Amino acid sequence: MKRSGLVFLTIFLLLAVLGGILPVLGAQKKLTVLMALGEDEWKVMRAAILPPFEKEYGCRVEAYQVESSDAIRKLEAMAAAKKMEVDLITQDNMLLAQLVEKGLVEDLSEYRELIPETILKSLLPVGEFRGKLYFLPYRPNVEIAYYNETKFKKYGLQPPKNWDELLVVAKTFKEKEGIGRVAIKADLSSCTTVHLFDFIRQAGGDPMKLNDAGCVRAFTFLQQLWPYCSPDSKKANWNYMNRFLATDSVYLGWNWPFGVNVIVKDGKKEEIKAYAGWAGPVKASHVLGGEVIGIPVGSPHRALAVKFAEYLLSREVQEKLVSQMGWPACRSDAYGKVEKWQQPYFAAVNAALETAEPRPNVTYWADFEKIILKAFRLSVLEGQPVKATLDAAAAELAPLKK
Amino acid sequence: MRRRDTGEVLGTVAAFPAAFAFMLFMLVPVLIMVKVSLSGPEDIFTQHPPFLIHHATLDHWREIIAAGGIRAPFQRSLVVATGTTVLALLVAAPGAYVISRMPRKWRYPVLVSLFLTRMFPEVGIALAVAVNFIRWNMLDTDLGLILAHLIGALPFIAWILVGTFETIPVELEEAAKTDGCGRVAVLRRVILPLSLSGVAVACIFTWLWSWNEFTYALYLSLSRNTLPLETYYYLGRGSLFNAATYSTILTLPVFLVTFTLQKYLRSGYLTGAVKG
Repeated sequence: MKRSGLVFLTIFLLLAVLGGILPVLGAQKKLTVLMALGEDEWKVMRAAILPPFEKEYGCRVEAYQVESSDAIRKLEAMAAAKKMEVDLITQDNMLLAQLVEKGLVEDLSEYRELIPETILKSLLPVGEFRGKLYFLPYRPNVEIAYYNETKFKKYGLQPPKNWDELLVVAKTFKEKEGIGRVAIKADLSSCTTVHLFDFIRQAGGDPMKLNDAGCVRAFTFLQQLWPYCSPDSKKANWNYMNRFLATDSVYLGWNWPFGVNVIVKDGKKEEIKAYAGWAGPVKASHVLGGEVIGIPVGSPHRALAVKFAEYLLSREVQEKLVSQMGWPACRSDAYGKVEKWQQPYFAAVNAALETAEPRPNVTYWADFEKIILKAFRLSVLEGQPVKATLDAAAAELAPLKK
Repeated sequence: MRRRDTGEVLGTVAAFPAAFAFMLFMLVPVLIMVKVSLSGPEDIFTQHPPFLIHHATLDHWREIIAAGGIRAPFQRSLVVATGTTVLALLVAAPGAYVISRMPRKWRYPVLVSLFLTRMFPEVGIALAVAVNFIRWNMLDTDLGLILAHLIGALPFIAWILVGTFETIPVELEEAAKTDGCGRVAVLRRVILPLSLSGVAVACIFTWLWSWNEFTYALYLSLSRNTLPLETYYYLGRGSLFNAATYSTILTLPVFLVTFTLQKYLRSGYLTGAVKG
């Protein structure tokens, strides 16, 4: 009896231990990732990008759609609750400062060697804050100039290559149609800031100085251009610019490449073409947008997240992103063939990327943006003297820089 | 016959055009939204879009329904809105009954104190609420979102119910008590049946508010969106047609609920306890 009791107890204990271990062994590792993608992009991500990684590492990648601005809020809540549920984020490179300031992302300086030698050099400074690497490069993006080929041909115009030609085009459309048809993003949001960076750098200026010769020249030109711009400029942002182009309300305007899908693919407006855009009196310049990879502090599967980041940066994945999503690659050795109808637009994006420059990562960015937008409103929209307005703006900015 | 003065006449004459203009102001955006969801690109991506639909199509609706992505958010919104309404009613009704029977000098301050929480905008307190809910493992759960919605729904539903219960004479309760009913039985058998109209109004507003709610859903959802969150996604990332179709689907239950229960929408129920 005693012996059978002992045997029974041993079997029972064995089963209990195995019952505890087996579910753990059988449980698949899970990687939670936040990304911001369009519907077609999600199809490619889920069908072509995630499965090979899942197979190689025996894990399940749960990727969720979250816009970059919303990702900051969610991470903040999870970090405050000390319950981080997210392992990796791909984040708009214009919304990084808050994540760093609030201590929401890991210092990835020890993983610098993951960045391939062939990475586009302009992408490197984007993820660095105060000498530390917080974000790995992932996907570059840049605005291109969309134009209505039919309307340009109607008036014998060519897409402008410099500021002088831009002014001529704007004046011609205004004169012929009685209303401006060239739009700049003047909705006084971050979209306007991007435009200002483009114009100021094209004039050889430093936007962070606000009142150097290049800044004055750019603002003066915009003040001259404004009366010939489309009234839709005041509402034009990354979203509405596509609609204005698609509804023939605007015949020339800059926007991000996703507009190609909205205007040409969904809207069937094949007369809307694109090119890299115009240069200024000193050079061509585009603000470098796009996304970077970050790992939240407290990520439950940090090591696996680093592997996933390395995977996204791999040549194989970058080539898939090029050929299946039409994204420009972040490394020069990644080649891919896009669909025939996308090729001219893809060429425009790659041409624009050659002159792409990132925005600086400064902790006072929110205040800086308010000041530069105020200067734009006063000088360009309301016609106040450019030099005086920019001098006042620079004076307002000076204490913040210290 | 009473002679009407000039002001009264002018008021009557001006009322109809003003009401018509207001109706257009409210309805035209909704009509445009529905129109875009049912139109081909030729009718929309043009400099002068027609007022009526010339190239009607159900392609956008078919595409969204066939994709299947709308089912889960729709279901979640339905469960959360209905759950919020039922729970709010169960919690608020007894409390509103007690408040309605308080001496008048206490009733108003107690009712106003319920609205203290409504003084804080949701955007301001959502983070703090989310932090606690995440700690309690309520991220992505229907219960978590229902409880978050109750923060806003409870004071409002209590306010409407107090006004409803006030209209029921105390003598009826006393008669019921004389017949042997306890407090809860009085509420269940006498008060609630007589106040069904007011309860319906409270339910409409609570349900609609919860159905459209965005801020708490944003903080407390990761993998399971509500329909407003899904619509928000399409407004930013989707085509114009997808955005219009999702927006129309989001609006349909609002029309159905309001149309079905509109007979209960009488101004008396909406004045709450602020009477006499």
